[in-house]
Amino acid sequence: MTLQQPCKDPRVSAEDRIIRLKVNGVWHEFYVGHDIEEADTLAYLLREKLGLSGLKVACDDGACGACTVILNGEAVLSCMTLAVDADGQDILTIEGLPKDDPVIAAFAEQSEPGYGTAMQCGYCTPGFVMTVKAFLNENPNPTAQEIKDALSGNICRCGCYAAIAKSVEHAAEKISRQASKP
Amino acid sequence: MSNQFKRRVNRKYLGTYRPRIDGWEKASGRAEFIDDMTLKCRLPNILYAKALHSPYPHAIIKNIDISKAEKLPGVEAILTYKDLEIVSLKPMNAGWTDGVDTVSYERMMWKKLRDRRILGSHAFWVGDEVGAVVAAKSERIGEEALRLIKVEWEVLPFVLDPIESMQPGAPVLHPELSQNNILPAEPIGGADVFVNIGDVERGFTEADINIEVKAIYHNATQGSLDNWCCLASWKDDQLTVWSNSYEADQTRMFLSEMLVIPQNKVRVISPFVGGQFGRGDTGEDPFFIYTALLAKRTGSPVKFKHTRRESFHNTRQPIIYTCKMGSGKDGTISSSYFKSIGNAGAYADHTCFATKFVPQEIVEVSFAHIPNVKMESYAVYTNKIPGCMMRGVGNNQFNLIFGLAVDALAEKLGMDPIELALKNFGHKWEKLPDKSLEAVLHEGARRIGWDKRHKPGKGRTYDGSKKRGIGFSFHPGWHAAWQEQRRGTIQAGIKLNPDGTVVLLAPTVECGPGSNTCNVLSCAEALSFLGVKPKDISWTSTVDTDSGLKDTVQTDSAVSYLQSEVLVEAAAKIRGEVMKLAAKHFKVSRDQIVIEDGIVCLKAQVKKSITVKKLLQKGDLVPIVAMASSRPHNRKTGVPYQATFAEVEVDTATGQTQVLRMIILNDCGTVMFASGAEAQQCGGQCMTVGESLLEEIVYDEKTGVPLDFNWVEYKIPTIADMPKVEPVLFEVWKGAGEYGACGIGEGVVTCGPRAIANAIYNAIGVRIDDIPITPDKILKALGRI
Repeated sequence: MTLQQPCKDPRVSAEDRIIRLKVNGVWHEFYVGHDIEEADTLAYLLREKLGLSGLKVACDDGACGACTVILNGEAVLSCMTLAVDADGQDILTIEGLPKDDPVIAAFAEQSEPGYGTAMQCGYCTPGFVMTVKAFLNENPNPTAQEIKDALSGNICRCGCYAAIAKSVEHAAEKISRQASKP
Repeated sequence: MSNQFKRRVNRKYLGTYRPRIDGWEKASGRAEFIDDMTLKCRLPNILYAKALHSPYPHAIIKNIDISKAEKLPGVEAILTYKDLEIVSLKPMNAGWTDGVDTVSYERMMWKKLRDRRILGSHAFWVGDEVGAVVAAKSERIGEEALRLIKVEWEVLPFVLDPIESMQPGAPVLHPELSQNNILPAEPIGGADVFVNIGDVERGFTEADINIEVKAIYHNATQGSLDNWCCLASWKDDQLTVWSNSYEADQTRMFLSEMLVIPQNKVRVISPFVGGQFGRGDTGEDPFFIYTALLAKRTGSPVKFKHTRRESFHNTRQPIIYTCKMGSGKDGTISSSYFKSIGNAGAYADHTCFATKFVPQEIVEVSFAHIPNVKMESYAVYTNKIPGCMMRGVGNNQFNLIFGLAVDALAEKLGMDPIELALKNFGHKWEKLPDKSLEAVLHEGARRIGWDKRHKPGKGRTYDGSKKRGIGFSFHPGWHAAWQEQRRGTIQAGIKLNPDGTVVLLAPTVECGPGSNTCNVLSCAEALSFLGVKPKDISWTSTVDTDSGLKDTVQTDSAVSYLQSEVLVEAAAKIRGEVMKLAAKHFKVSRDQIVIEDGIVCLKAQVKKSITVKKLLQKGDLVPIVAMASSRPHNRKTGVPYQATFAEVEVDTATGQTQVLRMIILNDCGTVMFASGAEAQQCGGQCMTVGESLLEEIVYDEKTGVPLDFNWVEYKIPTIADMPKVEPVLFEVWKGAGEYGACGIGEGVVTCGPRAIANAIYNAIGVRIDDIPITPDKILKALGRI
């Protein structure tokens, strides 16, 4: 069984077997073949090795968005990204957001009548938050249709979609208010 | 806001629109679920259990060779069907109760249907966990070990269709229980003909109009994002199990009974759960047992977690219903006859709950004014994924035929189906029309524009090929207090700290319905005389069976009021204790004291006062603890009603259906937490739209292999599939007790499929009563293919 042992292929240098990832502003090193395997996903590395459990692995198939993190500014599915492919990249997980992040706040506080709360069980919520985070960075004043398009890769089985869309509107408002402050 | 409901009683906290108490924790990713609590970086010596799954729909393991797998580095233990630990286990079924009560092995709901062997050698469906289970250092090694296990299978003939399964000559699945695959009758549910009131045949003969209809419900799956998971660990003879089942005390009972260990030697801990939706119901599932046995063998903590594919573990019970309904010309229904064939799949589990128990209950609360009612049902074993429980159990399937019968009978009578509904349906303790039903139907009709409804298929055409239509369906609620009697006592407590803050003792596994917020609000409401606000109350998100009180299980959203009613009693005890302190402080008798808004004063001298906080500081600084334990109120109050109105657009060229609008109307009795109730109403529609139009388990009929056990092909609606949903709450009906509320969490998914199907009929003029209504069925019905 070679899975747990370092790569012994003489053509691969020791340096090549180390990957470095910047996660929430801090660089981490992993020895491929020892700390992680070539087949391990970024989701596995972030959760099991770094204990960043905000992202969830729910479908493990790229179908639900619960594992979404931000890689170099873009929302990616960490269950569909190999850890080794994230070598040298800058990764932001929900743990890296400030406590009062406007997107988190908008999801947490949604209670506008007619829409319900933005989460029930909350398992999909961190994935939605990170998708919205990347989306609003790109498009700070989205239309309702643009919000729908941006979130159509995320599943909320509790079905809080209308309230989630409301939260995105509220988050956009919060961000624009913050930006207009001197 | 036009959406806001009229409150019967204005209360300070209960019934308000406000964020969830766990909103920040969940939105920031800090809420911990079992998979998060059992990460490898937290438990370095953790092992992973991986079970063998049958590749055949029906087969027996003749022999098994684990010698190669055992030698694989990282494999720590393998248990097989030959091991004594496994052989000695009692036969059982999954889901010992419907979640309402706590039961032992002897008192499980379906005593005659103990058809499951834990890790047996006989496989009854593709995916059945049989034969062997491995404990390994990683999931990958575990999976590799399973591939190295050599299994000698004897492949047996199989059957997928319940009608075929009932015929002579069909392969018999569980001969020790049934010779013809039909599940034997149980005391719960009753005989094949389980309701027979009056004389239905005479009713049909005497009726002016009779209709006959058929509806087929498929096996949708719950689709919780948080896959089944547990971690078992032993310290000497003490077993601790971390679980994402939603009934911690029942899981403790299950482990204790199956492993024959005393209850004080089993501890079950359940944190937040990422969606339950009824899966496995009380969760007496084999994996708990073999994971615990592997942990014992290896001496290490062992984790079991389903992959997404394995999470297709049990489903809603598919049911084929037929109904005959007869009435006079004036629309007075004289006779109703329902017959159903339920596809239990590989194991019986809770199929009879859906096919018999639930319809029986509906007779009492909806058919009480109809003189002749007959119900007959056959639940049948097949080699498909087992049906167990899913949100709206039995009611969804019944509503699909019930709402059809009402719609079809009204059409034949030339009558408005709303009028027909109000004329006939209601519970037996009230005269017709039922006020709750009247409220939801009239408001729904007003909002959707029911008076402008065109005849089936006769509306205008949009964009060359699109037709629009509207439809509705209605259903009784089923979680009023009197229906919760079987739970026994509900336990809750309040701990008042010397600084005036509160620790709420109301254990319930929070899987989404928001009852934790309801409990905090009701606790603040009941303690408002002390000046306690919701922010002063802490609620623990983790249920621990060693903590003292029994957890109350989230069936429906009944926990939204069950513990709240008990907290009223606990708060009264707290009041008594604070009164005692005040009497001592003022040196007067207790009847001289008034406590209001956090101030204690003398009745006679209002100016002579002290704040509650200061009063508490003067005592011995020991928290005041009040526990209360009482049964739900048993006064027969009937139930409230709920309805769904839907508008659809069907493209007759492509067969594609788009739901444009849904109006969800629920009478709650008392709205405990308005934002939470609306979240249930809006949110439930992900399930109804999915089950009506998109979700379906597809089998290869030739091999019996299910083809879409993943979320790419099994389509759960995303925001792009969802219509505009309007939630409407009512407080018309009132149950017993301080609040007299009723759960709505299951009801919100019950009327959707029928409302959508009726709307499709109204749009295109052809009925399709076999859900999901996919484009090919529409095109076929229209004669296009």
